[in-house]
Amino acid sequence: MMIIFAIIQAFLVILVAPFLIGWVRLCKARLQGRHGASPLLPYYTFLTLMKKEIVFSTNASWVFRTVPFVVLGTTVFAAAVLPLLTLEGISPLSHFVLISGILALGSVFLVLGGLDSGSAFGGMGASREMTIAALVEPAFFVTLAGFGLGSGTAMVSLMIGNGVVGWVVHPGLALSLAALVLVSLAENARYPVDNPATHLELTMVHEAMILEYSGPYLALLELASWTKLTVFVLLIGSFLLPSTYLLAGVDYTLVGLGMAVGALVVKLIVLGGALALLETSIAKMRFFRMQEYLAYAFVLGVAGLIITLIV
Amino acid sequence: MMTIEHILAAVGVKSTAKTPQLTRATVTAEQLAPLATRLVSEFHLPLSLLYATQESPASDFGMHAVFSHVASHGWLVVSTTVPFSKPEYPSLTPTVMAAHWYERYMQDMFGLKAVGHPDPRRLVHHENVPEGTYPLRKGFAWNTKLDHADVPYPMHHVEGEGIYEIPVGPIHAGIIEPGHFRFNVAGERIITLEGKLFFTHKGVEKLLEGKTPMEALPFIERLSGDMAAANALAFCEAVEAAAGCEVPKPAQLLRTLLVELERLTMHIHDLANMGGMGTGFSYVAASGFRIKERLMRLSMDLFGNRYWRGQILPGGAKRILSEEEKKQILTVVKEATEEMQSVLSLAMSSDAFLERLETTGVLSKAAAIAYGALGVPARASGVDIDVRRDHPYAAFRSMPDLVPQIITQTAGDVHARFTMRIEEIKTSMDIVRRLLTEKGSGGVLVPCLAQNGSGLGAVESWRGEVLVAVRLKDGKIDRCFPRDPSFCNWALFGEIGPGNIVPDFPLCNKSLNLSYSGTDM
Repeated sequence: MMIIFAIIQAFLVILVAPFLIGWVRLCKARLQGRHGASPLLPYYTFLTLMKKEIVFSTNASWVFRTVPFVVLGTTVFAAAVLPLLTLEGISPLSHFVLISGILALGSVFLVLGGLDSGSAFGGMGASREMTIAALVEPAFFVTLAGFGLGSGTAMVSLMIGNGVVGWVVHPGLALSLAALVLVSLAENARYPVDNPATHLELTMVHEAMILEYSGPYLALLELASWTKLTVFVLLIGSFLLPSTYLLAGVDYTLVGLGMAVGALVVKLIVLGGALALLETSIAKMRFFRMQEYLAYAFVLGVAGLIITLIV
Repeated sequence: MMTIEHILAAVGVKSTAKTPQLTRATVTAEQLAPLATRLVSEFHLPLSLLYATQESPASDFGMHAVFSHVASHGWLVVSTTVPFSKPEYPSLTPTVMAAHWYERYMQDMFGLKAVGHPDPRRLVHHENVPEGTYPLRKGFAWNTKLDHADVPYPMHHVEGEGIYEIPVGPIHAGIIEPGHFRFNVAGERIITLEGKLFFTHKGVEKLLEGKTPMEALPFIERLSGDMAAANALAFCEAVEAAAGCEVPKPAQLLRTLLVELERLTMHIHDLANMGGMGTGFSYVAASGFRIKERLMRLSMDLFGNRYWRGQILPGGAKRILSEEEKKQILTVVKEATEEMQSVLSLAMSSDAFLERLETTGVLSKAAAIAYGALGVPARASGVDIDVRRDHPYAAFRSMPDLVPQIITQTAGDVHARFTMRIEEIKTSMDIVRRLLTEKGSGGVLVPCLAQNGSGLGAVESWRGEVLVAVRLKDGKIDRCFPRDPSFCNWALFGEIGPGNIVPDFPLCNKSLNLSYSGTDM
């Protein structure tokens, strides 16, 4: 039963991921006074890319061809096991160390893909991604540890699944939640760390690594990054206001599932709007300030952990 | 301040011709470099232009160095002759750094070898142009088909542990013109930065030859789309100086107005582009571009094109604005600048935003003077230059009280260049207001047909000083060198870049906003 729900959840998250991106872009456009494109545009972008030809650099090896599948695979894994839609997910697989590791694996392969083609931009993006990843990883780890301590479990799904809003019981977890937001922005190459809409090749991080990809491979990488953002947005949503809390009493029925899906869409719309507002109202950070930003995230995470431990 | 006569007497050179604006002197090719050195370092006359001419296919070359004498609002043109049989002369660059690109330019276009130039690589010609191609010599037909060559162009290269090279362009991710930039970096820190431009040479200088000034004007206006009015005015001023014709006041007012409106349009664009695209503050970009669009539509309404083009003619202007139109200009410009101020005040209250601009891309005053930097970048580094005051043109000449107070800053970073533009919008707005209320009598266009003669025209465009040198022969252009301020400012990249980090380079780039097209004529 759990596995079926996990598959449904992963499928659903991938399905709504392009909508989230389109929605964020639309909100950003409206906030900037532009009309903006339809939130469904990313679906067409994906289909268009799937139909296009793939061009390989002559320097590219098998690593280059493996990367899109590994990256998408790690993201889909996270989308399946994390408590995004279902109440508990596949709990033994959502151990927070495993989740951090799987996401790091995706980053590492993305970096390898950037390096493999031997282009200067790929290398530049890869070096930046590694700098960020090295700083993101501990902050992410500490943050999830804080939640784990609050709920008394190492399983991310159970951290939420026990039917209470964690940060109401343990106020220290509000800090962990703030840390999770900062980490999510960095992990997903959003403001203030990276600019997902930039045309300035010298400032790119994520885009620089996937610059050499084209056609269906690019489509897979795009889908992976959209899915990853959706996973993080929903994870924050779950920590903020667990669907389990809303749906207490409604069991694994079609009604319950429908309500969970409804809650998921509402969370995406609200948090997507919030992300757009954030990205419109701030400037991108200077790259060398990144360690400060991620140090804040780490300190917030540690503070959340300690307060939860003491209180 | 010494007059030009005193200076010439001090260096022992006789003037050969003199008008209030222009003093000419002739020296030998060997004397030019030491003379230029003294003029620049001892008497502080900046080298404003250095260009070559040729009379006929096998005749000797003329070489002309133009120095700016601010106190008398005048120019000193020192000319020399370089023999056709042995086209060599001692280079000025070792002692007068501002000459570096001019000399490489003449080397490519005329085959004049600057002996002792520290960087004698090609400038205009890229690898495919065969050796011995000198397009601006009179003997070279404009429609010559060149063979495909492969002449190496070695770029600066740094070696060492952990140092790597990033080649960027000439094809970019955004819609900009082609330029190749070569970074040598240690991690993210830039060690050296070198640009390679001139990928889309249009041959405008060659095409201008043999055309009447009226025929040439459309080419000049299209040298750099965003500087149409300033280029046209500088060209017309040069032609009028050669012909000695007096432009009526109503036309002078309109000409000045157009250049100031162009400045407002492009300063708003630059602020949006730096503040928005450069830092990723997308609200500033979207709002600023929308406000700029209002000004472009104003141009469309009034003149039928979006770039303040087609109104400035040799001898005057195309037409005079009606009171209605003046009112429309004032309303739109006032609303646009006020709206931009409110967007900017929002941006300037963001610490994260200011943090990106401050201390980024610092240009020292010494470097700005040495490279002969012009316009906003020069003023932001404390160099007090502005053609509107130094060599007044159009209405600034006849109305000295119209000349604005020149603003300078000392920090020389992106933030200084950003706030300079904000301040300059305010001054331009005052000038526009004044020009719209000022009335003048007289026609709008006087006949201005020069047969023979030469002249200089300078205009403070929004990018800086445009200087056009024109020589007419039998009513046609014999030689015309329109020097875009970008020509002098491009080399600043090598100075501004090192020490910064690679992701900040686009911001430095946008803070200069140089023209590829205006440089690669």
